Amino acid sequence: MGEKKKKKKKSQLPFRLNILFIFVFVLFSLLILQLGVVQILNGEEAQKQIDKTENTQATISVPRGLMYDRYGTLILDNVPQRSIVYTPPKNGDSVLKRLEIAEKLAEFIMMEEKMDDLEKLVRERDKKEYWYLFNATEAAARLTEEEKDLDNGGQYQAMLDKIKPNDYNEFNWEDPKLLNIVAIKKELDAAYQLSPHTIKNENVTELEYALVSEHLYELPGIDALPDWNRVSKVGNTLSTFIGNITSSDQGIPRDKSDYYLTRGYSRNDRVGISGLEEEYESVLRGQKEVVEYTTDNNGNIVGSETIIEGKSGNDLVLTVDIKLQQEIDKIVQEELESFISQNPSENKHMEDALVVMMDPQTGDVLSLSGAHYDREDNEYVDQSYRTIIDAHLPGSTIKGATVLAGLDSGVVRPGEEIYDTPIKIAGTREKSSWRNMGYVNDLEAIEKSSNVYMFNVAIRLATATYRYEEPLYNFDWDSFQVLRNYYNQFGLGVETGIDLPYEATGLVGDPGPRGQGLLLNLAIGQYDTYTTLQLAQYVSTIANEGYRVRPHLVKEIRQSNAKDSLGPVLESFDTDVLNRVVMDDSYIDRVQEGFKRVVSSGTASGHWRDNKYKVAAKTGTAQNIFYDNGKEIYTYNLALVGYAPYDEPEVAFAIMIPRAGTGNDQNGIHHAIGNRIINKYFQLKEERQQTGITENLNEEVADQENQEG
Amino acid sequence: MESKNKTANIDYTLILIIILLGIISVFSIYTIQDFLLLPNYYIKQIVWYIAGAITIGVIMLVDYDRLRQVSWVFYSIGMIMLIMLHFHFPPGIAKEVNGAWGWFEFPVLGTLQPAEFMKVFLVIALAHLIVIHNEKFKEHTNKSDCWLLAKILLVALPPMGLIALQPDLGGFLVLSAITVCMILVSGIRWRIIFSLVGLALVALMSILMLYIYFPEAVDTFIEDNEFGHVESRFTSWLNPEAHNQGGAYQLIRVMRAIGSGQLSGKGVGGFEVSHIPERHTDMIFTSIAEQFGFIGSSILITLFFLLIYRLIHIGLQSNDPFGSYIVTGIIGMFTYQIFQNIGMSIGLLPITGLPLPFISYGGSSTLTYMIAIGIVLNIHYRTKVYMFDS
Repeated sequence: MGEKKKKKKKSQLPFRLNILFIFVFVLFSLLILQLGVVQILNGEEAQKQIDKTENTQATISVPRGLMYDRYGTLILDNVPQRSIVYTPPKNGDSVLKRLEIAEKLAEFIMMEEKMDDLEKLVRERDKKEYWYLFNATEAAARLTEEEKDLDNGGQYQAMLDKIKPNDYNEFNWEDPKLLNIVAIKKELDAAYQLSPHTIKNENVTELEYALVSEHLYELPGIDALPDWNRVSKVGNTLSTFIGNITSSDQGIPRDKSDYYLTRGYSRNDRVGISGLEEEYESVLRGQKEVVEYTTDNNGNIVGSETIIEGKSGNDLVLTVDIKLQQEIDKIVQEELESFISQNPSENKHMEDALVVMMDPQTGDVLSLSGAHYDREDNEYVDQSYRTIIDAHLPGSTIKGATVLAGLDSGVVRPGEEIYDTPIKIAGTREKSSWRNMGYVNDLEAIEKSSNVYMFNVAIRLATATYRYEEPLYNFDWDSFQVLRNYYNQFGLGVETGIDLPYEATGLVGDPGPRGQGLLLNLAIGQYDTYTTLQLAQYVSTIANEGYRVRPHLVKEIRQSNAKDSLGPVLESFDTDVLNRVVMDDSYIDRVQEGFKRVVSSGTASGHWRDNKYKVAAKTGTAQNIFYDNGKEIYTYNLALVGYAPYDEPEVAFAIMIPRAGTGNDQNGIHHAIGNRIINKYFQLKEERQQTGITENLNEEVADQENQEG
Repeated sequence: MESKNKTANIDYTLILIIILLGIISVFSIYTIQDFLLLPNYYIKQIVWYIAGAITIGVIMLVDYDRLRQVSWVFYSIGMIMLIMLHFHFPPGIAKEVNGAWGWFEFPVLGTLQPAEFMKVFLVIALAHLIVIHNEKFKEHTNKSDCWLLAKILLVALPPMGLIALQPDLGGFLVLSAITVCMILVSGIRWRIIFSLVGLALVALMSILMLYIYFPEAVDTFIEDNEFGHVESRFTSWLNPEAHNQGGAYQLIRVMRAIGSGQLSGKGVGGFEVSHIPERHTDMIFTSIAEQFGFIGSSILITLFFLLIYRLIHIGLQSNDPFGSYIVTGIIGMFTYQIFQNIGMSIGLLPITGLPLPFISYGGSSTLTYMIAIGIVLNIHYRTKVYMFDS
């Protein structure tokens, strides 16, 4: 009985094992079969896939172009810099991976040398995050039920909030090594997938750079790259006009990314974002070298070909004479300082002095200076950008344009005399010249700065009838536009066209229904406002026989030279005439004559008596009323425009000192600056003639001509 | 009435097969040295084999029948380790690798993967359980079979659950394969086995239907738990080219490497595909297939087949049910791992983290397989041959 059962039981075990065996056999056959499909049927295709090579293009940055002054003095240089960069892979590295990289990298670089600086880099949050890395479970356990329902970010924040100092102080935060690791990890955390992030680029020592370079294979995503920094050779001088570029971390400005990307930039390229750096970006950037690498399926490079030869950015030669610029900067600041300190109460609102000097014939900007007095900090700072940004009432300086408007429109004839006596239009205050001059013609009106002459020009332009204490009858409102059109021809109220990304054009007043009298104010520079640069262009136009030239800061584009010298000229910016004032030459001659008389016998004669250079000029004093804490404050804008020498003008200037002197409209700061800058200009010119430095930078060409001669 | 046949007791064929597999293992690991982060993996593997051989020697000393007395002790040790791992205890020693809490890392000594040892412990425990049951219930009835099935599941499910939660899908599936094989030979009647298979098929089909018709619902269910990666592996296996990132990226590279080996391979060191993860462990078959082609791989698979054949032979020869059951469990373990590991490399199955027995580098796993072989050799060594039992 028992034996029989045992037999039955015994007989089924082998049977079932055999079934298992058959099953195993089937499975193994399946394996061989599929292996046959993969290796024999599809083997060739797999091999083809492997042999397929891929072409990838890599771009290599080139140095940005430099800037020189008109005499070839280096103004803006590139200084090489070493940087350690981290590029996370697609979808980023995990936190632990980043910690691992940070720990490894910390063996080679120190984020800061000093303990104090290192401590500043690591904030409390960083310490919490570090603790969290090792205690994620515990941190998660501290969450309340509600907090567990938060999204990942909310949960993480809640967990960090619950980490207390006695938690993270488990680690020794006095240990510079730990601080260094955490500081590096922080930088790694900030990086975005596939875009390079600078971990350290200041003070990377040669040793650090070499160590990292040697251990790149242990540091996935880390790279040691050469970089460069823009360094001005002239300190703060002209810095706002030279402009700035982005760092490689900032890359191309986000709001203009499409613009740059379509022009072959990559996201972390450094681009000019202000001043000449922005204006001449396409010149300065150069041509990145594009190399096509052929890689096999494993990413091994099997060949390379240069598709586009790299070219360094081209250099700019500026029109500015840096020596003159520096001297003018000094003069402007010194005079501002001296006038303020001599009479602090009278000059308590004076804080700016602006000067523009340019070549009236070519438009070469020779210097742009602006000194600003910061009353709060009691210091003088260079704010030369105000010459193109700030617009002020110009006062009588624009009377040259008003006279020309009168002459050209025929409302006054050359030599015609107008009786200078106070004018009163009903409902407005009496308007007069600074003294009653009796009969004045066009020349005398400029020489003595007659307001009434200008008022009459304005009234006649408006075809209005004037009677004392009565409204202007038959006033033609278009006259505002007519007069402004004349001014525009001189650059007043329109863009000067300077090669900078931004310039102001000043305020254009809206006279309203009862503002007839404002036309009279407009005619004497008491209504619309203009920048100092506009005034310089205006006076240049008069000096240049009515040709309005575009002021420009860049004289030439030159190919960069490997040596520290200028390469051949690629493009030269010659005189660019924007327009010719549409009026008779003889009228312009009259105004030039008037400007000459201003200096010799007119309003400026007292200040210019000792000046030996042939200067023609026009003064301007504008009432500048502003409100300070509800109190009306009366100040004067002191302006001076002019050029020299008057027979063959080579330098034109405009000086503007807004809010000068309370109660005294003639403290003379503009004349003091004017005298000194003209003297300095000619003095430097004479020095250069003696030392043989010429403006012509093509010395080789010049030499050849001499030999031929 | 009975006498031993002394000469046939040590299975030299099995030993020869293991030695050949060992040589292939060390050689394969040696050829891929350049791709690995640390040097000398192949030397370490030799050390593991030697340690394994010594372990086999020790196992041979004691009659395997003694295992019945300690089967629950082993099982308990395995369970305690898994429970400790589940609670990440002791901190600092319990370790997470690739997202799974499956390791103990002892200072100096190295790492230990309890799930590997649990495979053998489960085999022994189940074999013991089935033997006791069958001794008690001589006759198989529906009731006794259900009772046996319940007991088997009661023992098998806890370690399976803990391993699945680590999460270690591969380990879970190996334990499942062991359990299924042992249920098959336990004597449970066919009608129950068939109804079990039917039930499993229905469950599988309904999950598949659910996935096909309501993928979002399944996604949201799966997303938040440990099994999220199972789904992504499954989808990338179904359509690797469409998921040319992450898991599918691996599979494409692996299949290119294997496929390009073609009939006869590229020869020693002829590697053309880089970035293959776990090259020395789970993906070791790739390097064999690429270097030695279809012929080399087929030889390896045949060798594995001979191994299983030999194990079945020993199981059949053994006239002690305890021995047969153990051998069956071990067959289940090896068969599944071999099929899964090679199958996933050639796109037959989704990718799951599992080593290729005897070939992949790994201390815990190699040692476990050697212990298993030691037990099998022991069973064979002590098989009584009845002269008159034909």
